[in-house]
Amino acid sequence: MTGKLLLLFRYKRKTQKDLNILILLLFTVAFAFGQTPTDGLMMPSKNICILLNYEAGHFDRYWEGDDLRRNETIAMVNRTTILPMAAVGIFDELNFYIGLPYVKTKSSETNGGRFEGAKGFQDIMIALKYKALERSLGSGRLSLFTTVGYSTPATNYLSDYMPYSLGFGAPEFSLRGITQYQLNNGFYVRGMVAHLWRGYTEAERDYYYNSGSFYTALMDVPNAWTFETVIGKWYMSNTLKLELNYTGLKSTSGDNIRAYNAAQPTNKVKYDRLGVSIQYYSPSLKGLGVVGYYNNVVNGLNTAKMGNVGLGLTYQFNFIKNTNNDQDAQ
Amino acid sequence: MIKMRNKIYKSILFICSLLWFISCEKDLPTYLEYKDYSYSSTDENGGTWQPILIDEGAAINIGVPEDISSQSYQAEISAIKASTDEINAPQRKALTYWGNNAVVRWNEIALELIAKYNLIPGPNDDGSYTLPNPSDPNGPPAFPFAHPPYACRALAYLSVAQFDGLISAWHYKYLYNRAAPYQIDDSITYAYEPNDIPSYPSDGAVLARVSKKVLSAMFPLEKEYLQKLEDEHLESLLLSGGNVPSDISAGITIGDEISEIALARAANDGMKNAQAPKVVSDSIKAAAFERFGWQWENLEIPVRPVGLTPLFGKVKMWNVANVENVRPVPPPAIDSDAYLADVSILKDYADNMTEEKRSIANFWQDGLGTYTPPGHWNRFANEFMVEDKMNPLRSARTLAYMNMAIMDSGISCWDAKYYYHYPRPIQTIEGFKTIAGTPNFPSYTSGHSVFSAAASEVLAYIFPEKATLVRGWAEEAAISRVYGGIHWTFDATVGTDQGREVAKFTVDIAKLDGAN
Repeated sequence: MTGKLLLLFRYKRKTQKDLNILILLLFTVAFAFGQTPTDGLMMPSKNICILLNYEAGHFDRYWEGDDLRRNETIAMVNRTTILPMAAVGIFDELNFYIGLPYVKTKSSETNGGRFEGAKGFQDIMIALKYKALERSLGSGRLSLFTTVGYSTPATNYLSDYMPYSLGFGAPEFSLRGITQYQLNNGFYVRGMVAHLWRGYTEAERDYYYNSGSFYTALMDVPNAWTFETVIGKWYMSNTLKLELNYTGLKSTSGDNIRAYNAAQPTNKVKYDRLGVSIQYYSPSLKGLGVVGYYNNVVNGLNTAKMGNVGLGLTYQFNFIKNTNNDQDAQ
Repeated sequence: MIKMRNKIYKSILFICSLLWFISCEKDLPTYLEYKDYSYSSTDENGGTWQPILIDEGAAINIGVPEDISSQSYQAEISAIKASTDEINAPQRKALTYWGNNAVVRWNEIALELIAKYNLIPGPNDDGSYTLPNPSDPNGPPAFPFAHPPYACRALAYLSVAQFDGLISAWHYKYLYNRAAPYQIDDSITYAYEPNDIPSYPSDGAVLARVSKKVLSAMFPLEKEYLQKLEDEHLESLLLSGGNVPSDISAGITIGDEISEIALARAANDGMKNAQAPKVVSDSIKAAAFERFGWQWENLEIPVRPVGLTPLFGKVKMWNVANVENVRPVPPPAIDSDAYLADVSILKDYADNMTEEKRSIANFWQDGLGTYTPPGHWNRFANEFMVEDKMNPLRSARTLAYMNMAIMDSGISCWDAKYYYHYPRPIQTIEGFKTIAGTPNFPSYTSGHSVFSAAASEVLAYIFPEKATLVRGWAEEAAISRVYGGIHWTFDATVGTDQGREVAKFTVDIAKLDGAN
């Protein structure tokens, strides 16, 4: 575990460049995570929000390099994720998050490969979100958040077993900046940018090809940039929230999936994903909320054309006094 | 073994991470890193060893070298001095890379090309499959598909040609006894540990030329890349202070001649017919069904019409007179007690997969996109050769015998595969799933088991202190396929015996080649 944590710290030429980017980010942008992983909300101090999310994803096409293809060896791959997560309001401006997804993958019947799927706990993630700024601006409010996150495999799952592997199997350190501007009529826009420093994953073989021979079990999982743009609006006295979102991810290095060959964690991944989400906080059942979403990868490189449907329940309560905080989570 | 290595590696990473801010650079290893060493033997009588393809080392003719007192030789020495004075950074890097045992490097280059070309052609949009075609190597699909039979054959021809070329080089080295430039002129410093091996003809040049030629024939799309490597290697030999140009050109003469002989054998060894047409493949299958009442089926979608190289079992062997002499006994009949017992074992492994079994299955998988099981054993051999400080001649001998045994065992294995045409577990066990990819050829016997057993027997002969270790690895490689869910236990156990038996023929010849 410690070893894996330390693997995070890269030691290559690119490190110095990344470090500069990191410093730049620290001083120019602020960051976020939310009541759900991608929103612009803060938990009030002494409150906890529990999220239980179910996600069903599937794909029957993927990009081999930039070529979108089918492959009957794997047919339709289904990926189910159950994510329990907790958000804790330490202060009004500082939240702590912890989550651990359980993932299950398998191919539809019949397929030409007859491969066993995989299941198990994936990566434990922790994050701290800080509200760096909130001020009135015109007829709305401008907020800046910064989130620092860390995740690492919670089990010894095999990352080198694509497309069934539970995750990429490496520690990840993330810095996120979120800017949100919300009008008084409930309409808001949000932008997020994050850099993901990804360490090495360990395969169970000590030779692999990555545009040349590698005599090691360690595979370099490429670092990545990720972006998000959201347009949303609150309805019904701030109890219902509707969002349209775009998420992009772009690895900074890596190789292509080779012809009719399995993907591997060293691949250079890019995608553009469009999604919609709806979130509702029940005024009658205090503290209870429900979130639903759908998203689909519309463009990509070395990645699955994955479509996801998700449904989550949130419950927020005050953990110091036995009463719910009247102040709403926004 | 793999775990230990990674622990060490991770510790290095840990230290590096502490030094993160002081810019610590270390890349993941892309080749076997070793420091040049003093050879454990010079093998003065190496020129008298029995070669494989030619009658004797003297069978190839090179001219008598100029005497070291001659004007032309002195001019060569002066030129060397001038160029070694001006070595630039890439040249220095090349000197370190090529090292003092280029057998290892050229073998690694072969392994890399195998991994690069070990990609199975996918189906076309209409569900048909196109085979790689040597007369149109660009494809798609590109030629070759460097599957295990192709890989073991490429490695065998490479190693055998290198070995014969070096025997010939050794013959002339000790016939003419022309010392190396750095031995003759004190002002020339050798880039590596000095030795007393005469430098005419250059053994490095033999290796460079043989390897370029054999690998260019096996991987026609890589001609340019291989030419670049040969050029770099030859330049490196001059810059090392170990050779003058006339050493190099004599080495090239040997290299040209021996690679031509090797490639002439390759052209007519039967490999070009190994990927039989569907009619032939169907009749082989029907014959097995007639004989035994079972037949292996490809279960891919869309179905591949022909298995991998049905006639590889007919390819000319190196050291076994008749492949049928080493054919194993038939496998258990489908639904016999022995068969049903194996079904239970496989189901039990699949239902109770452990991390240990999973990691064994993956460590030895050497599947598509990798250097294949023959490549994996070459990698072990390279490590052992460096550890034992072998000179290039002894290294080439090690690989030549090992790769002949591996190829012979592969031929024998393929003979059994298509003679018995035995189904894979996914074909006969309803709903069975695997953690390894099921290959496109019959089950009995397991290629991994046969290749590994044969390789381990030759390594056990050459490195007796490692005999227990390598035989254990071979058994683990064999059972790994059962853990992976793609082989029966009898595929593995019978395959191991088969590989050991086939390797004996090669080891018996090695024992008499004069190197002991």
